[in-house]
Amino acid sequence: MTAAGSLAPPESGTGRPPSVVAVFVRLKLAVLRNGLRQSRGRTIGWSLGVAMSLAYALAMGSGMVALRGNQYAPVAAVTVALVLGLGWAVMPLFFFGGDDTLDPTRLTMLPLRPRPLITALLTSSLIGVGPLFTVLVSTGAVVAVAHSASAVVVAAAAVALLLVTCVALSRAVAAANTRLLTSRRGRDLALLSGLVVAVGAQLLNLGANALSSDRGLHKLTSLTGVLRWIPPAPAIDAVRSASRGAYGLVGLQLVYGVVVLALVLLWWHRSLVRLMVAPDASTIQAAPAKSAAAERKASAQGRAGQTRGLTAVLPRRLVAGRTAPVMERQFRYLWRDPRSRATLATALAVGLLLPLVAVVQHGSIYQCLWAGGLLGVQMYNQFGMDSSAFWTVVATVATRQDAARELRGRALTLGVIAVPYTVVVTTGAALLLGRSAALPETLGLSLAFLGALIGTGAYASVRFPYAVPQDNPFANAAPGQGGLVALNVLGGTLSSAALSLPVLVLTIALHVTGHHALLWTVLPAGALYGLAVAALGLRWTAPRLLDRLPEILAVVART
Amino acid sequence: MERSQEGARGETARLEPYHGRPAAPDGAADADGPPPAVRVRGLWKRFGEQVAVAGIHLELPSGRFVGLVGPNGAGKTTTLSMITGLLRPDDGAVQIVGRDVWADPVAVKSRIGVLPEGLRLFERLTGRELLVYTGRLRGLPVAEVDRRTGQLLNVLDLSGSQHKLVVDYSTGMRKKIGLAAALLHNPEVLFLDEPFEGVDPVSAQVIRGVLERYTATGGTVVFSSHVMELVESLCDWVAVMAGGRIVAHGPLAEVRGAAPSLQDAFLSLVGADRRGGQDLDWLGGGPR
Repeated sequence: MTAAGSLAPPESGTGRPPSVVAVFVRLKLAVLRNGLRQSRGRTIGWSLGVAMSLAYALAMGSGMVALRGNQYAPVAAVTVALVLGLGWAVMPLFFFGGDDTLDPTRLTMLPLRPRPLITALLTSSLIGVGPLFTVLVSTGAVVAVAHSASAVVVAAAAVALLLVTCVALSRAVAAANTRLLTSRRGRDLALLSGLVVAVGAQLLNLGANALSSDRGLHKLTSLTGVLRWIPPAPAIDAVRSASRGAYGLVGLQLVYGVVVLALVLLWWHRSLVRLMVAPDASTIQAAPAKSAAAERKASAQGRAGQTRGLTAVLPRRLVAGRTAPVMERQFRYLWRDPRSRATLATALAVGLLLPLVAVVQHGSIYQCLWAGGLLGVQMYNQFGMDSSAFWTVVATVATRQDAARELRGRALTLGVIAVPYTVVVTTGAALLLGRSAALPETLGLSLAFLGALIGTGAYASVRFPYAVPQDNPFANAAPGQGGLVALNVLGGTLSSAALSLPVLVLTIALHVTGHHALLWTVLPAGALYGLAVAALGLRWTAPRLLDRLPEILAVVART
Repeated sequence: MERSQEGARGETARLEPYHGRPAAPDGAADADGPPPAVRVRGLWKRFGEQVAVAGIHLELPSGRFVGLVGPNGAGKTTTLSMITGLLRPDDGAVQIVGRDVWADPVAVKSRIGVLPEGLRLFERLTGRELLVYTGRLRGLPVAEVDRRTGQLLNVLDLSGSQHKLVVDYSTGMRKKIGLAAALLHNPEVLFLDEPFEGVDPVSAQVIRGVLERYTATGGTVVFSSHVMELVESLCDWVAVMAGGRIVAHGPLAEVRGAAPSLQDAFLSLVGADRRGGQDLDWLGGGPR
């Protein structure tokens, strides 16, 4: 191996050291294996994920094979190649934290030269589900356009070239962005990227739907001339060229693909060299001149932040004691903590989206219950979101009153957002649907449901807390606690729905008995009922919170 | 007699959660003097099969600088967590200035300051916001919180970073802001778990200065560490833990005894081998 020479002088020790490539391949396999060994739930989850993605790859691959002979097969093959390349390029930006072997800074202290390192990293990157997925899908794509013996030969080369280019591109992007991705801001961004992925998946879905019609593919065909020259598509398009006998074009496209690969490798090489010789500047303190300016700006912000804002508007008795500081902290967290922000943004967005869908599809106005419901669920597992910082709560809550005020602060934070939001969304949907007559009852039901969720959520937070991992943006519970999450969400929704029954019964009774003129009473009844259930829930929970403080800490600090 | 009973209780499975002991068992003995800062009787904690703290008895005088030392895994953090009310003991009694931690949390929580190890702060707050938030949780008046916060930030050399998020602080800055939060309500007893771990010499000196000033005016500091030189230079009272038990405690000179340094006394107390690494004959000069 070329790598061996640079590792260590061969005359030392007990013979030649193992090649770097073999070491890295074994490292990758060990990391995979150890990841699975952590817990049974994780193993099952991983296996399910792998099975699903492979099934998806097989479906896509065979879908491509089925296109064989179709006039749109070439453009479909080229598009698939482009989507694969794009996916590989953006993947490290979202999943960087998940794979330690992607982080070259972990290797800087080892006596490795960049060139053998690249060979070893590239080889070990070819192991995994992603590469297998890529091979399956791209094989389907080349089969769809290979119509001759020579095309089959080109196809084999094309799949290999596509795979190596994709993997190298992914690694190069990761290496170029390592500094960003390992910093705190980078990790915050990754947390928010969950939203981007969710929205992006929806957009892709829409795009795929649009393209699956003949007209969509026809439109795309007119773009083929451009698309097939965007890397890594040329490799795949070379197969079609071979099928047509245009061997000059085949050569050109393959050489073009190899040149692109070489450029990607060069970029990667340069990033690696820079990473491995330049010190990490993240812990170096900012220059004094800059920090003085930042200081002035920050102190201005600090003063602005000190105006007690919302808590000054609320009645003094309501926000007495620790309630006001707790609320202020909760609001700051909703803005500054990427996980809290992403959760809230998702709840707000989906809570708006579902009533909108109702409007578009002329569905039921009761879809508006989602708006309050999704926000109300945020009351669940309040302390899990604190993680081990919950100890400050433990250290400062000494009386039942403290506990009640702590809970009230958290409930008020949510209520201050959820109540106006529910009112606005429900009113808007009712007006757009032309069902303003149904507004009072819907709103009354919504508020009752919201109140029930806040009341039961407070209790569940105390009785059934679970740890929220702080490092993994996509897991919402530490391993082994999936059951608790389900219990929280399902049990919470069901019990809150049951608690809202009186208001629902009132609504139905008024409808059935024909007292439509009295339906407006559901609004005040629901609002008062929701308020009462929430207040009772908090009151009932407060002494239990005081009793269970150390137990909750023991659970939520387990991350 | 009493001890064997407690031992027996610690060994058996617990039937109901522990809620402390309201009546002070040795209350009569306190009549002739101020109560000790900390009094621990038969404290037990086990995690599954593993016994983390095996029935320790401990009495720490007030107004002293007390060092709790022991190797990793000796049960220092578990003990401090149980003393400060963060972890529920399986059995035993903990009193701080004469009040039971678990039966009378109102009296105790306002009298102690805590800086735990390995637990986060609310790190998405700036340093100043964190102190103001903590002070208001403690029920201090807003103006007083602002005054104390400003002074603590100054003394601890954090004024320049007071508007930075704590999540972006270095280890030393985190320890300092944690110390400030623990001192804000002027506690009688301060519990610090590894306050110097990972702290640079400059910050360590600042922390040291603040703690020395605090004990000079009558405060009690209990801190855990495994850096013997530090304990020897700071503390006047030492408790040595090993394997979940207190193996020695008393004034520094008494625990050190005839040994040349606390390090030597400690090593012989915990039964560690002074020498080490004789088998590594290939290490050092010679062929690589």
